[in-house]
Amino acid sequence: MVAVMGVDIMFDTIKLNFKKFNIAYMFILPTLLYLLVFQIYPLVESVRLSFTDLSFIKPGSGNYVGLENYKELLFRDPNFWTIVLNSFVWVLASTVFQYALAIPAAVILNQKLKLRFLWRGLMMVPWVTPVVIMGLIWKWIYDGDYGLLNYYLNTDIVWLGDSTTVWPAVLLASIWKGLPYATIMVLAGLQGVPYSLLEAAYIDGCSKLQAFYRVTIPVMMPILVVSTMISIVLTWTKFEMIWVLTAGGPGVETSILPTYIYTKAFQNFDMGVGSAVAVLSMFAMIVFVVIYFKVLYRLNND
Amino acid sequence: MSHRKVFNKVLIYASLTVLMLFVLLPNLWMLSSSLKTDQEIFSVVPNWVPKPVTFEHYKWLITSIDLNFAKLMYNSVYVSVVTALMTMLFAATGGYALGRFNFPGAKSIGLFLLLSQMFQGPLIMVPWYQMAASWGILDTKLVLILIYGTATIPIGVWLMMGFFRTLPRELEEAALIDGCNKLQTFYKVIFPLVVPGLVAVVLYAFILSWNDYQYALILTNSTEAKTIQLGIAELMDSMGKANWGGVMASGVATTIPVIILFAVIQKQLIAGLTEGSIKS
Repeated sequence: MVAVMGVDIMFDTIKLNFKKFNIAYMFILPTLLYLLVFQIYPLVESVRLSFTDLSFIKPGSGNYVGLENYKELLFRDPNFWTIVLNSFVWVLASTVFQYALAIPAAVILNQKLKLRFLWRGLMMVPWVTPVVIMGLIWKWIYDGDYGLLNYYLNTDIVWLGDSTTVWPAVLLASIWKGLPYATIMVLAGLQGVPYSLLEAAYIDGCSKLQAFYRVTIPVMMPILVVSTMISIVLTWTKFEMIWVLTAGGPGVETSILPTYIYTKAFQNFDMGVGSAVAVLSMFAMIVFVVIYFKVLYRLNND
Repeated sequence: MSHRKVFNKVLIYASLTVLMLFVLLPNLWMLSSSLKTDQEIFSVVPNWVPKPVTFEHYKWLITSIDLNFAKLMYNSVYVSVVTALMTMLFAATGGYALGRFNFPGAKSIGLFLLLSQMFQGPLIMVPWYQMAASWGILDTKLVLILIYGTATIPIGVWLMMGFFRTLPRELEEAALIDGCNKLQTFYKVIFPLVVPGLVAVVLYAFILSWNDYQYALILTNSTEAKTIQLGIAELMDSMGKANWGGVMASGVATTIPVIILFAVIQKQLIAGLTEGSIKS
């Protein structure tokens, strides 16, 4: 009896809600359906394919093979763990360097400057430059025969072809591309620091530098944490930047999980193994995201 | 001004110069190379100012059959415009629902939009290829538009949600009192006020589609469907140094449109992006 009443009340609330919010449901529905079909379904399908031996060049493939693809990657593939390690290095180093430079860059752009709006706008040029174009510019800068870098450093290095220089070279290009986004985030944080707080610090005898470390940075901390986390998560799935510069080479020197998915699935036509790489990569990302929300939650509660 | 103040000013402008050089030099180098003669491009000492200035590479660009520049540009414009307009429809409606109504589930949907931006690129490439193949839309402009939507719609709805929230609550009430029904309230009262936001979303969606390389790489390969970005990447692989001026000219031609569009929407876009991440 009580249960029936409960259900009744539930239906009533649903009906009531629907009447009150019918236009909201009607308007959000297309977006939900779109993402369901074109994003959620592919993600689920990705998991399913990872248990198959699907290959485009083998007719009749696509049978279930259980955990075979995962065993192959985790235990037999000599490159897999190098690539996992590369992915972490790539993501962490990109983010750390981008933000280490973004803080001074944002401080400069937050000063009273002539034509400040223009400098802030120009700062975003790398961000809007198409990644293919970024690739070809930086390839030319790093070129062994005609590269700008070799000329100015008076060296003779094939920057993207040498295993000792390829990582710094790729990271520099990644800093260039990612610095604008990091800078606008830090800039937004800087603008949120109330001037009264800084003034109080000056009255207490802090120098500008001290005030920056003791007031500005702590106040901005939540924004820094959130935006670096976003950068980490977004960089984790980025395939294009490395692909246009080195295609993961030389060898697998700069291969990361996203490029490995492509190599496995679209160059070796091994869609099953490619999907397994994607699933493992997603799994790592979910761990990231959980940490991300935990950190957010703690920040909100402080 | 005291010495200290002068010193500070000099320091600030010197750092600004260094920052701007780092950010702008690569693109300026591309621009300068595209205007050089072949001989000058391969000179041992790099020249920043081309002497003489030549437009031969741009001429090559327009007439070349290797790249088929005009056709690929057309494909890129077509795909980006349709994606942008489609994104506008979803962003206007979805953003309105999430920004103006506190319905059960609104919060989870917002979170879902945020999360869906994380599961993109290579993570969904394999099943997308499969899907496109089985629907017979592989190597078409349609498949690009559909997959670009998975990136532009979540961010578009998210940004519009922010714009809708900035409008005062009383607007709907006033409209209802004046006898508007819910749909009329939307398109007569609320909608006109968020047009600037919508313009920003449309142009942002255009830029995202225009700049894409990864999806075009796996889903298209014919001249009928592929975008200029893919064309340039292939040109780089096939000709590279043999036609460096041409590669650089094509780079300039595809970068200038997005830089102009960005300059137009800069203010709204940056406000939207930073607020999105700060408030979330």
